[in-house]
Amino acid sequence: MPVIKTENISKKFGELKAVDEVNLGVEKGSLFGLLGPNGSGKTTMIKMLTGQIKPSSGSAKVLGIDPVKEGIRVREVVGIIPEQETPPSFLTSGEYLSFVAKIRKIDGIEEKSDWWFDYLDFADKKDVLCKDLSRGTRQKLMFAQAFLHDPEIALIDEPLINLDPVMQRKVKKFLKDYVESGNTVFLSTHILEIAEEICTDFAILHKGRLLHTGKTDELKEKGMHLDDFFMELVERS
Amino acid sequence: MFTLFTSMFKEEWRMHSTLFGNLNFALFPVLIFAIAFMGVFILPLITTVMDTVLLSIVVHAQFILLGIMVGSFGILGKEVMNRRFGQASLIAYSARSLPVSEQMVFLNFVVKDILYYFILWVLPFGLGFLAASPFLGINLYYPMLLLLTLSIAFLMGLCTIFLLSAIYSRSKPALFAVLAILLAGFLGSSILYSPGTVLSAVLLPVSIFDSFTYSGLLLSLGAIAVFFTLSILFFTSADTGSEKHYRNLLDSVSQRLGFLQDNTLVAKDFIDLYRSGIGIGQTIFSFLLPLGLIWLVLSFLREFLTQNNILFTIAVVTGVIASTMYTWVTEFDSISAYYFLPLNISSIIRAKTGTFTVLQVVPVVFIIAVGLLSDAAASIPNAVVLCLSVSFFELALMIRMCGLEPGTMIYNVRVFLKYILITGPVILVLLGLTFISPYLAYISVILFIPAWYLIKSGFKKWDNSDYAGF
Ligand SMILES: Nc1ncnc2c1ncn2[C@@H]1O[C@H](COP(=O)(O)OP(=O)(O)O)[C@@H](O)[C@H]1O
Ligand SMILES: [Mg+2]
Repeated sequence: MPVIKTENISKKFGELKAVDEVNLGVEKGSLFGLLGPNGSGKTTMIKMLTGQIKPSSGSAKVLGIDPVKEGIRVREVVGIIPEQETPPSFLTSGEYLSFVAKIRKIDGIEEKSDWWFDYLDFADKKDVLCKDLSRGTRQKLMFAQAFLHDPEIALIDEPLINLDPVMQRKVKKFLKDYVESGNTVFLSTHILEIAEEICTDFAILHKGRLLHTGKTDELKEKGMHLDDFFMELVERS
Repeated sequence: MFTLFTSMFKEEWRMHSTLFGNLNFALFPVLIFAIAFMGVFILPLITTVMDTVLLSIVVHAQFILLGIMVGSFGILGKEVMNRRFGQASLIAYSARSLPVSEQMVFLNFVVKDILYYFILWVLPFGLGFLAASPFLGINLYYPMLLLLTLSIAFLMGLCTIFLLSAIYSRSKPALFAVLAILLAGFLGSSILYSPGTVLSAVLLPVSIFDSFTYSGLLLSLGAIAVFFTLSILFFTSADTGSEKHYRNLLDSVSQRLGFLQDNTLVAKDFIDLYRSGIGIGQTIFSFLLPLGLIWLVLSFLREFLTQNNILFTIAVVTGVIASTMYTWVTEFDSISAYYFLPLNISSIIRAKTGTFTVLQVVPVVFIIAVGLLSDAAASIPNAVVLCLSVSFFELALMIRMCGLEPGTMIYNVRVFLKYILITGPVILVLLGLTFISPYLAYISVILFIPAWYLIKSGFKKWDNSDYAGF
């Protein structure tokens, strides 16, 4: 049963069709990669799925909830990493996690945030203001923030671009384990190697249109590489 | 360098015009032009109740005020650059990766802002007056001179505040020392000289307009240049020092605000205001200084107005200026840092209203101080009620019309027109009532009724539209 489903979902900004009649289904327990060049509509898609902006037409369901009517409920149950890693400037990273916990009404935040500071190795930045953090550290913080409440689904927008290889590996492992225990990840990225390595399913978006959906394993069986496949599709369209 | 400047300028323009359409924004200077143009035709009417010197003081004071409002770059400096450019668009941000010093980037940013506001406000106002003058047979010398002196007024207000805020960003005690010296100088000279002389020194452009001299012009331009250069030199980027560690305040502050529904968000706002220095900075630069100037100007009307009238006028103006505290708490917060959490836009606005309400302590204290200092203690309660009613009514208007973007949306011609067409009459009626009897000031509480409806409908309106996320 799909936990995320869209029907002919579209978003127009004036004349521009940022997302154009997209039909997607994401199965429970999958690590779903939404792939596409810059400006292809990935971020717009995530924002519509989480009720942050409203589709111009079409509809979506996330865990059976309509994000247009009940955006808040969707954002309660899912975890989100937004595209820009901008936690509030004048809170420390520790305070930011506790801020998120208060809004999400999560108990035992001390332990949970300590676990994250430890896991992503930035405990020394706990008392530093977010505005003084490096981009990589901000991204770690935004990552931790999204998983504090153990959501069933996480929608994460380009979560790895500022991380060093060691951290990337840790994060990738976390995501794999996370879906293995029955959760779902909806990952948007333009870095195809990452998608090829960790995603179970993928969809290719180009200029707002869905060009292809499939399983990463099927591609591997055919002996194809994701980037060749991607280039071919994008060039053909 | 010039490319950096033009791209910043274009970026600012694009931000405003994409937010509400090219036309609605491009018409803004046209509207200011039209207001000035039409204003000239009622000049003969105004001068029957107010002599021209006074009128000139009021008009120039307004442009000094405008300068003051625009000019606190120093404290906000980088924060504003980040807010306004950092996330959505990246010129100021990426400039850091160019072979350009931070001071240069900042200089470009400031000059761009000055020119931008000059084109939006000062120039069209001056031109409107110029265009209307032939119809009334006014010698063209006067509107030309006015354009010059208004520009000077704007720049003087701006550069003074810029300098003070740059000092503030370096060292807070230094600022208080400078302010103390200024105040002492002001009080000292008002004992030695007549109030008129003191005022003409503070309002130099007025005296230049009154009787033009090249020395006066040179003096004011020189002051502007010196202030400006010093400010740029004083500006240092905020994070040159080593990494600082802070104690966790969020838990204790939000606990203390537990009586509020949105205590977490409000606590976050106060921590922002406190740690960034914007809270105290804005209170001084965007609240106390402009109101001090207005008080000064009003005290010259003592021949025409009673102490009570002056207090009530200040109460109304304070209400309007206090309502702009809503822009402090919205402009300097990156809402995109948390609006992906389970929050409605309306709950964020409601939290901002909570922060705003707590901040209203500042105008209340100010009104009480003015009342006590000007021997109008008996009218203080009336004045406080009047001030708060106006402030909350204006807040409600802003919420309804601008949502979380009051600083930007005001340049939408339709929003601006509605704002002044509603605010103007309300203020005039209230002032008229208080001039009849001080007790009528209490009638202003009626404003809480439309305010409540405006806020409620504003919540609905903004929940139903996409958050642009600037
Ligand atoms: N708020 C907005 N207003 C206007 N255009 C937008 C807005 N948000 C996104 N776009 C445009 O929509 C298209 C898709 O953007 P986005 O979803 O951010 O792409 P991606 O995340 O794949 O890089 C781009 O052309 C972008 O410029
Ligand atoms: Mg994107």
